[in-house]
Amino acid sequence: MTFKKKRASSTAGIPTSSLADIVFMLLLFFMVTTTLREVDVLVKYKLPEAKAIEKIENKRLVSYVWVGTDGRIQVNDSLTKLEEIQKIMYAKRTALPNIIVSLRIDKGSDMGIVTDIQQELRKASCLRINYSAMIKI
Amino acid sequence: MVQIKKKKRPDPEIPTSSMADISFLLLLFFLVSTVIDVDTGIGMTLPEFIPADQQTTVPISKERLAALLINENGDVLLNNEVIAIPQISKTLKPRIESKIELPANKKLVVSVKTDRKTNYNLYIQALDQVKLAYFEVREEYAQRKYGKRTIDFNEKSEEIKDIREKIPITISIAEPEKVKS
Repeated sequence: MTFKKKRASSTAGIPTSSLADIVFMLLLFFMVTTTLREVDVLVKYKLPEAKAIEKIENKRLVSYVWVGTDGRIQVNDSLTKLEEIQKIMYAKRTALPNIIVSLRIDKGSDMGIVTDIQQELRKASCLRINYSAMIKI
Repeated sequence: MVQIKKKKRPDPEIPTSSMADISFLLLLFFLVSTVIDVDTGIGMTLPEFIPADQQTTVPISKERLAALLINENGDVLLNNEVIAIPQISKTLKPRIESKIELPANKKLVVSVKTDRKTNYNLYIQALDQVKLAYFEVREEYAQRKYGKRTIDFNEKSEEIKDIREKIPITISIAEPEKVKS
């Protein structure tokens, strides 16, 4: 008597129908979490490095001021004159009272421009600032 | 009569096997284009703006003042003595530590002053050292008193309040001598 090997009638295969769903889920997650950079940075800058740095926990509060290697200042998405910072920042502050201004200043800049910007920010009473810096290892 | 049998058409179906590939492609695009840039930096709080004619000077005793001066040549003076930037935190640490138990009006005040032509990077390096000194003192205090690191505390806990009260970071950015207004 010969024994016939019992074989499962179904063919083995990984069900791929749900794969698309899973991938879509992942895709959605990334789409939601991605914050596309909404401003073009028009100035060239290189940040200084520091050890004792903090993370800004709330990104919604942050507003940026860039200062490039050539000393040009950018606020929002356009280059700005120093005198206009106060007006722009004051408008921002009234909309968002606990605003944090992140200063992305090129490391080759002079302190002169930094103090000038700080004075403008003080006049606009944007007092929480953050000197943007890279972590030094 | 010959019956013409209608050929049965196969059920229409959308091929879904390539769907996964397409969505993978999209996923890859988002993965690559995502820039998770973390905002890191040295946090500071500026003093309120007071017009020059309303400014009053408050005398601060020498005991609690650490004056840091950085000139345009990159020389750093701490209390009128030349110091190398990496030495700042080591020099400040004992002074901060000695004032942990003192009341709030006797804590150390670090004043940072620069020239208009001082390099920004130098200023950040010096400020970094000052912050580092404070952070290290805080860290040691937390370790000694609570046996925990400062990052392990809840942001609203009593302990972190205590640490911040005992070791407040008071950095004064000196009013620049000549300000364009």
